[in-house]
Order: sequence, then structure tokens, then C-alpha cells
Amino acid sequence: MARIVVLGAGISGHVAASHLRRKLSKEHEVVVVSPNSNYQWIPSNIWVGIGRMKSKQILFPLAPLYKKKHIDFKQAKAMTFHPEGDQTENKPYVLVEYVVGDKKGQQEKVTYDYLINGTGPKLNFEATEGLIPGQNKAYSVCTYTHAEHAWENLEALIKEMKQGKKAKILIGTGHAKSTCQGAAFEYILNVEQELRKHKVRDMAEITWISNEYQLGDFGMDGMLLSYKGMTMKSHEMIEMVFEDRGIKWILGSAVNKIEDGLAHYENLDGEFKTETYDFAMLIPSFSGHGFKAYDKNDQDITEKLFKGFMIVDADYTPRPYEEWSVQDWPETYQNPSYNNIFAPGIAFAPPHAISKPRKSKNGTDITPAPPRTGMPSGITAKIVADNIIDSIKNGKESLSHKGSMGNMGAACIASAGYGLTSGSGVSITTFPIVPDYNKYPKTQGRQLGKTFGEIGLAGHWLKLTLHYAFIYKAKMKPFWWLLPE
Amino acid sequence: MTERISKYQRFKMMNPIIQFFKYIYLSIKVLVIVAGGHGGTRQVN
Repeated sequence: MARIVVLGAGISGHVAASHLRRKLSKEHEVVVVSPNSNYQWIPSNIWVGIGRMKSKQILFPLAPLYKKKHIDFKQAKAMTFHPEGDQTENKPYVLVEYVVGDKKGQQEKVTYDYLINGTGPKLNFEATEGLIPGQNKAYSVCTYTHAEHAWENLEALIKEMKQGKKAKILIGTGHAKSTCQGAAFEYILNVEQELRKHKVRDMAEITWISNEYQLGDFGMDGMLLSYKGMTMKSHEMIEMVFEDRGIKWILGSAVNKIEDGLAHYENLDGEFKTETYDFAMLIPSFSGHGFKAYDKNDQDITEKLFKGFMIVDADYTPRPYEEWSVQDWPETYQNPSYNNIFAPGIAFAPPHAISKPRKSKNGTDITPAPPRTGMPSGITAKIVADNIIDSIKNGKESLSHKGSMGNMGAACIASAGYGLTSGSGVSITTFPIVPDYNKYPKTQGRQLGKTFGEIGLAGHWLKLTLHYAFIYKAKMKPFWWLLPE
Repeated sequence: MTERISKYQRFKMMNPIIQFFKYIYLSIKVLVIVAGGHGGTRQVN
């Protein structure tokens, strides 16, 4: 009998747990530890942030589902890792602390044969002074509660605009090393469309602020893509969309301080500037959770497991951008020191950025961090689950399932406005996610036919379809496993 | 505001009939790219 503990019940944790449960017999135990009571389909937070969806439409409670599927669920947070056990516990374990109910505050040693760390990122708002969701007129759409709050305040601003108030809206990244530009991109286009629907577009100045060197970088070094039979650079496509929608942009910016209606930033020219706003949505930087790890003798071995995020089978040797290789990226997400620990999704430490690193004239590093969206999170979680399943069934370690972000496609179906007949979407696919300059030397590291862009109503329908399909899949309804990650 | 997308292009982008076929095409294309497989990048000797 094997016991597999999954930390986190987001996209990667939930995908791993559901595949493990489906493919392993009941004699094996699958345990999920998460401080959250609900599963949320994060990509639809954008629509909660413009009031077009209620949060209950994008989430469901985990406990009843896990009970029905015979997955043990502990609503608790991970505290420390003990991959060798300790003086009193021979098996490896994670120390967790319950966050609700009668056991609230109680700690437990959750032992495991295999551990999947799907804890995702910590939303590191504190890395930017004054960037606190709901304060200083700055909001976030990173969680459904943040998105609800953002909409309450945007709605109030729209009412004021209807009374004649001119407003400045600032959307983008709130730190020199933020990632997830795609979410901010979706939100700015959705907000712009909502203002048009409310007939107050002419009362608002909308500005994109980002740490990207060029529009359309998205933390992936931009891309060369097929668009309507042409080969176009992603920055040209996004420029076209922004100009058409009357959205201004500020690039290469490291937002370093937020005050009430003021965003202070440094740009690549080394200038320190300030942008005023009446409503802002700024994506924070992501960081690891600061977990500590200890060996059998209670000695600190954190550096064996974590480098901010969890260390996996990547090549972390520091090298200049010109020497970065697609082979640096992990394939199995297995920790090299403890082969029964894995970290798929956002929980693994990337070997380096994907975008070319840039510094301001003052030496400030202004580089988007590499994005790891829902699709690669789901795919990597399934790879990890399949390797563990094979290892258990074969009785020896099996790592035959591999999936490097340098040999994996991703689709970014970015909503550009909500509405069954008036909505729009910017659909971009990319293959591979991490450019392979040796394999595709003439097309900026990517395969052109599989890297393409489309704009239109169909994109909105597709995003809506994905919303319903992935919630169906997450609820583990009949034949859920037929839907790809 | 600069009109970068012509009225004709916009009509095509928002026409439900044209977009229905585009939706089918996009769904299949995305499925092929995403579910079309993934693997490692390192040579194994």
C-alpha cells in the first residue's frame, strides 16, 4: 500500500490527485492537504472582476467531492518538510496545521511514500510597498475574493463617470519581476469593453503598465506567430489591439511603490516616474512560500529542497542569456535529492527567465518572470501522477512520462470582452512554451504553424467553453478524464 | 484612438456565422496543439 500526499488543491494539485485516485486501487491512499475549502477556476476570475460572473460560478467546495471519490482531504497548511522523518517518525512527513474546525491550530505529521508539492505561488504583494489589494485604489484579480472587490470598486467608479467624472485606469504588473501579464492583458481589454457598454469609455484614460520590454512579451520573450496568413511578431499584434481600443502603454517599468492613486516606477532608462490613477489592477510578483526542510537529525536542509520554489530536475547553473538552453528546463519535476518528492505546476523553481533579462541604467533588474499557466500546470501534474502510478504498479522507480516546457504547447485564450454576441477573445497558441532556438532557428524558437493568433467572437466562445469544460472535469463528472489538460 | 482594425475586418471578427466556423476550427487546432503530445528535450544515450 502506498500513501501519496498532494499539497495544494489548485489546478496542478487537483489534477494530480484526481488522476492518482482514478488509476490507483483503493488500497493506496491519496491525501490532499490544502488551506482552501474551494476549488476555483482561476482563468475566469477576470469575469468576476468585471461583474459578468459571480464567484460561485467559478468555484465549488472540495470536501464533498473528495469524500465521494475516496480522497482524504485535510484543510490545513503545510508548515515544514521532513523528507527523512525525524527521531520519532521513521517515514518522511510534512508537518501541517489545520486552519478550520475543531482541529484548528492543531499540528499533524502527515507521512507519505510520495509527495507532490502543488502549492503554487505566494502572491507576494509585500514586495511592492503599498501594493495591498483593496488599498490605495489598487486591486487584484488573482483570487475570486480579490476580483469581487475589484468589481465593487470599478462599478462605483463607473457610476461616478456617468455623473461626469473623468477617470484614469491603470492595469498591468506591479513589480519589476511580475509574471502573468496575460491575466492583466485580459482584464484591461474586458474593462475597456465594459466602459463602452456603460457608455463611459470617453470619460476614461486607460493605460497599460508593464515590466515587459515590448508589448506581447508575456514573459515568453514574445513570439513570431501566424495571423491571417501573415507572419507577425506578437508585439505588432498587441499594439494593433491596444491602438484600436485607445489604450496607452508604458513598458519596461518596475513599479516599486503605490500610494493612494499614485504608482511610482522606474523604467529601463533609469528614470523614476509617477503615474496617477483612479483605479488600478496590478499583478504582484510571485514567490515561494518560504517553507523550511529538516533532516532526520533536525538539521536545516532547506537548500536541498527549495530555491524560492522547489528544486526539481532543471539545470540551475547560472549562465548568460546567450547560453540558456531549452534543455535547462525540467522534464519530470522530481527533486534531485529526494526521488519521492515532485513539484509540478507553479511550485517548481524555473532554471531562469524565458524573456531576455534587462536592467535599468540604475542596475534594477526589470524582467518578467516565466509564466506557468493552467495548461502546463495541468499537464505537468498529470506527468508526475503517471510516473508515480507506474512506479507503484511496477514496484520500481519509473520516469517514462516526460514533459518539458520546451517540448509542450500552450494555448492562451485571452478574453477581450464578455458577451455571447458582443464578446471577443485573443486566442494565441504557442509551441513550444520555452523557445527552442536550435530546433526552430529561423522562427524565434517556435514552430510557426502551431504558434498562431486569432482575434474575434470565436475566442470568447472558446474561453467560455473551456470554463464549463474544465469545471466539469474538475468536478470529476462522468468521463472527465477524456478532456485533455 | 486609431482605427487599426477596419470595419470589414471587425464585421468578420464579430459575425456569429463566420465565427461559428472559426470556433470549430480553433477548437480543433487548439486541441491538436495542446493534446498533440509533449516530451523531454534531452538526449538520452
